[in-house]
Amino acid sequence: MIQKKICMLGSFAVGKTSLIRRFVESIYSEAYHTTVGVKIDKRVVRYNDSDVTLVLWDLYGEDEFQKMRWSYLRGAAGYLLVADGTRCNTLEKAFQLEQRIREEFGEIPFILVINKADLVQDWELDPAMESQLTARNWTILRSSAKTGENVDEAFLQLTRKMLP
Amino acid sequence: MTMADASTKRVPQDQPGDSSANGTGSLEELRHLILAPEQEALERLHHRVANPRARTEDVSSVVAEAIQLRREQGGSDALSEALAPTIETAVRESVRKDPSTLADALFPVMGPAIRRSILETLRSFLDSFNQIMDQSLSVQGLKWRLEALRTGRTFTEVVLLHSLVFRVEQVFLIHKKTGLSLGHAVAPSVAMQDPSLVSGMLSAIQDFVRDSFHSGPGEGIERLNVGDLDVWVEAGPYAILACVIRGIAPRALRDTMAEVLESIHREHSVHLDRFTGDTAPFSAVNQQLSRCLEYKYKEGANHKGYGYAWAAAGLLLLLVGGILGWRWWQYQRWNNLVDTLREQPGLVITSFGREHGRFSIRGLRDPLAPDPRQFVTQAGLDPAKSEFHWGAYYALDDAILQQRATQLLAPPQDVTLNVKDGILHLAGQPSAAWLKDLGTRALLVPGLRSVDFGRFTPEQMAFEQAKSEVQGVIVKFPVGTAALSSAERSNLRNLIPRLTSLQNSAAALHQNLRVEVVGHSDVTGAEGTNQSLSQRRADRVAWELIQLGIPDDVLHARGVASAEPVRSDDTEENRQFNRSATFFVSSSPSPQP
Repeated sequence: MIQKKICMLGSFAVGKTSLIRRFVESIYSEAYHTTVGVKIDKRVVRYNDSDVTLVLWDLYGEDEFQKMRWSYLRGAAGYLLVADGTRCNTLEKAFQLEQRIREEFGEIPFILVINKADLVQDWELDPAMESQLTARNWTILRSSAKTGENVDEAFLQLTRKMLP
Repeated sequence: MTMADASTKRVPQDQPGDSSANGTGSLEELRHLILAPEQEALERLHHRVANPRARTEDVSSVVAEAIQLRREQGGSDALSEALAPTIETAVRESVRKDPSTLADALFPVMGPAIRRSILETLRSFLDSFNQIMDQSLSVQGLKWRLEALRTGRTFTEVVLLHSLVFRVEQVFLIHKKTGLSLGHAVAPSVAMQDPSLVSGMLSAIQDFVRDSFHSGPGEGIERLNVGDLDVWVEAGPYAILACVIRGIAPRALRDTMAEVLESIHREHSVHLDRFTGDTAPFSAVNQQLSRCLEYKYKEGANHKGYGYAWAAAGLLLLLVGGILGWRWWQYQRWNNLVDTLREQPGLVITSFGREHGRFSIRGLRDPLAPDPRQFVTQAGLDPAKSEFHWGAYYALDDAILQQRATQLLAPPQDVTLNVKDGILHLAGQPSAAWLKDLGTRALLVPGLRSVDFGRFTPEQMAFEQAKSEVQGVIVKFPVGTAALSSAERSNLRNLIPRLTSLQNSAAALHQNLRVEVVGHSDVTGAEGTNQSLSQRRADRVAWELIQLGIPDDVLHARGVASAEPVRSDDTEENRQFNRSATFFVSSSPSPQP
């Protein structure tokens, strides 16, 4: 059986937890977020006719009050970078996180998920930001935890990136 | 390896020497002289090392000694672990090729092994049964039962928890870097958590603690305590072993954990180092982890002997014995009932036994036989639990025949019928009318063979009839004389047919008839006169009858004076009856012709 450690990263309140809540097996309460700074969940995806267990480390969002514990990223096979389409600064934060990870851990497969696609009319993405995104040549998915849009797809695409 | 390296270094050095041999022949010769033996030796060695066949031969000559030496040095664990995979593959291959080879080899040990296993299973069952019985019958047991109800655990589980000193419930092997689960072992009847989630969270907590207290990379939590659960963590270079323990485990468990972790590291160092999520190479690891699933019961919990088990077994035996005994007793009572029924006239039991939980009796019953149910009640048995299946028939028992005859022949009130050996006997005073065609009617009573009329044969009846008629006749005389009036003479003439009939009946009955003519007188007058007067009266009547044709050997005249008065001698009218002659008829068997 194949297992992969995956981290969920992103600013505070971008919807990481909501994104996975409906799609994972979980035995721990969300209180762990504020105490230990991480909550472990599990999702099994079908890839190339075999089951891949994704062990999701849902890291507590980084903001000015709380720093993310970088040691939790150790050993991660991939990560989901989550941003909030309605808050431009979360995207900037995502860029910073990606850079920091690359510096500390090298190239790790990841996907940028811009959440809250259901509120697309409120999105703050300006053309400059759009072009920045295009320039980076990342895998980007627009998702919605509310409708479930692209959530499965995000995990599947990340799995595809991690496995040869 | 060092030899090979040396030779490969030397040989290329020699080759340039050969190529420059053209110039200085003597130097070459000198060199040859000095170095030739060594060079040849080296050549031989090189050949030996480069040739796999020669190497194989070399190793084969020492392989047994090498293994023995290693064992003596005390590294047998490592040796076993190194050889195990090869041996396992070899065994698997052998079984695949021909299972019978291994089966034959194992045959002598299989039997004892299976026996031992069964014995162990039985013993452990008896142990736990005994323990549970022990707990069930005490106040503590009651408390634990309540606890089981409260917590939703099974009673066995609660008993186990309380009787345990400690038990390792789960063992996790966690890849240190990724926090992914490599293996997981769980004790029987323990609710297990998802190993990948627990592994992740445990390593997250490790990281958290390490980060928070700025400890070094080799340091971490060794022990977590949550309520009555303890988590012991043993960290190796690549993997972490975590045991979830209930109760207080001994220090020695740490050593076991360390040994298991070391052994896993030794066997899987490469896989652990390069682990990227594929757990396939660690498939056999769970068995090693099971070594850590240690447990210990409280002292004495298992050493109370099998008292309760035996008591329970005894109780069970007693119960079974009781039930069997009661059933036997019931059966005996039913058997006795059958015996009683068999004694009843008009009942024939053909079979009996239990049918659908009821006692069933089959047989034949005469309609006049007594009701069998009354005997069931008399025997103290439940009629509702009995079942009778009767076929109708005519019984030939005397008692039943007697009833049947009484029913069908309807005798007059003062007549009783008795049947003996199928023959009807009569008693009482049957009327001639009833007796008339009794012989014919009796044959219509099923089972009745014949009628013993006894003294009620038609001949006897005619004799009796005539006898009573004759004996009822009184021939009266005037005072003081033995002369017959004409009326009395005519009476005597009328008596003749009856006397004749009496004679005929007696002859038919083979009896000698005797008719006494008894002369009477009243009390008046002298006794001597009365005696002769009464004798004359008797003689007179006898003479008259002889004249009328009655044989004189039948008639016997005697005078009794007033000794046997016909009536009490108190009135003139009664005295008239006493001046008379009467008849007394008797008979005695005549010799058969």
